[in-house]
Amino acid sequence: MIKIHNLSKNYGKDVHALRDVNLHIKPGEFVSIVGQSGSGKSTLIRLLIAEEKMDSGQITIGGWEITDIKNHEIPTLRRQLGVIFQDYKLLSKKTVFENVSFAMEACGFKSSDIKKTVNQMLSLVGLKDKRDRYPHQLSGGEQQRVAIARSLVHKPKLLVADEPTGNLDSINTREIIDLLKKINNLGTTVVLVTHDRDVVNSLRGRVITLEKGYVISDQENGKYLL
Amino acid sequence: MTSLFRIIKFALQGFFRNFWLSVVTITMMLMAIFSVTLLVGMDYIRQATIDGVEQKVDILISMKPEIDKDKVETLVSDMNGLSEVKSVRIITPEENKVLFEQSNLDDNTKKALEIFEEGENPFSYSLAIQAHDLDQYVIISEFAKQDKYNGWIEDSTFRDYETFVEKINNLAKMVNKYSWYVIAVFSLISIIVIFNTIRISIYTRKNEIMVMKLVGAGNWFVRMPFLLESTFYALAAVLIMIAIVYFVISFLQPSLNTYFQGTQVIDLSGYFRNNFLFIFGVQFLVLSFLNIVSTTIALRKYLKV
Ligand SMILES: Nc1ncnc2c1ncn2[C@@H]1O[C@H](COP(=O)(O)OP(=O)(O)O)[C@@H](O)[C@H]1O
Ligand SMILES: [Mg+2]
Repeated sequence: MIKIHNLSKNYGKDVHALRDVNLHIKPGEFVSIVGQSGSGKSTLIRLLIAEEKMDSGQITIGGWEITDIKNHEIPTLRRQLGVIFQDYKLLSKKTVFENVSFAMEACGFKSSDIKKTVNQMLSLVGLKDKRDRYPHQLSGGEQQRVAIARSLVHKPKLLVADEPTGNLDSINTREIIDLLKKINNLGTTVVLVTHDRDVVNSLRGRVITLEKGYVISDQENGKYLL
Repeated sequence: MTSLFRIIKFALQGFFRNFWLSVVTITMMLMAIFSVTLLVGMDYIRQATIDGVEQKVDILISMKPEIDKDKVETLVSDMNGLSEVKSVRIITPEENKVLFEQSNLDDNTKKALEIFEEGENPFSYSLAIQAHDLDQYVIISEFAKQDKYNGWIEDSTFRDYETFVEKINNLAKMVNKYSWYVIAVFSLISIIVIFNTIRISIYTRKNEIMVMKLVGAGNWFVRMPFLLESTFYALAAVLIMIAIVYFVISFLQPSLNTYFQGTQVIDLSGYFRNNFLFIFGVQFLVLSFLNIVSTTIALRKYLKV
């Protein structure tokens, strides 16, 4: 699903956010990426969704080498991925339904298809009855579930999540992680960035640990190391 | 088709759901076109005043009492032959008598008429001649001074307004010269204000723009609603401007009419009515154009994500 080869990314001369990273993530995996703050986790996600350009190395996603991706191809890439963030990144002036449907409208789907898919995704995340609310009328956990619904409308093969539970309490965290597991069980590859020890340990899956931009450990059935 | 519909939908949502931002933006634009409209209105008032005064200006030629209608008509047709002459009006002795009686001269002076018998009229013919242009009166008055008419003409006067006209004309020339500077400066300020207003409004919504990009929207899909929305601002500003003009005129026109004693020398409402499409159409087009350009420039930075 994802092949990363000798990937490096610097900010300016002195900040080496990622150094010589090599990773291979297979379809259907649920991978956790852990590491202290500033270890380069978000940078890795930003490179995966072409929010930043890499300095050297290669990234291939689903057979598509995005190393030298053109600006006009970026929307196409993003429509094949699902992305969720710590701060949800919802459109504050749009309702729950509109937030989710926007991602489909941007791709030119038919209105009838959009209605069907959006309702389906909102049921999946359990927010069908709150479809007409605005983000500020939802709890953090609910907002994140909207973001997850939105990330799923394209039926992505890969879902990347950058600390999706960073702003949530443990109950909401549990719900979001369960949702991600459910999505993974439906066949989507999930890459979860987190520094929540309990989450990582409960997942009992593959854990990749970053430190100062290096991959320092990559274990099946791993534990939170640091 | 679907995407056109979506663009319109998003533009309307953006316009109404960012209501206060829209209000502020429209207010700034309103200020810009308000100053332009004010200049346009003042320019019309200036021009109308000059035209009004010009209309009242004429040369009054009084014929000698013995001159009969035939000679008067000869002079009239000679005058009409001059390209400078716009109109010649014959004032008959009877009309002159009535004018004298109705004038605001004091009664003693008017009594002077009593020495004449009933049916006797001491007044003669006179001609009121108007030129196309103020400068042409000299030519007309020279023409009347020819030897040929020596025995006919008692007196020729350039009626009253001479110095007044000169003053107005000089003022007009000066205003003409400077109004271009004023308009240029105002336009420049307006452009800067509009550009910055749009920039701030886009900046306020930069997160929205970046989120749209992150969930896979193409640049045009993000850009189009913003561009359309910016023409809504222009439309709203111009509509409010029209309402303001309408109100101001409905208060101003009656007092202008009183000032000029019923003659609609300054017909502001007529002026705005007749040039409605031009004044407000151009305002809308220019404003929309400015908004679209500003929006495009302001968006560029955030679309890079
Ligand atoms: N836009 C940026 N400009 C400069 N330095 C940055 C930028 N983004 C991240 N960094 C630096 O790169 C390093 C990795 O950051 P990041 O990937 O955000 O870490 P993490 O998500 O693991 O906390 C940090 O040292 C951070 O300060
Ligand atoms: Mg981070």
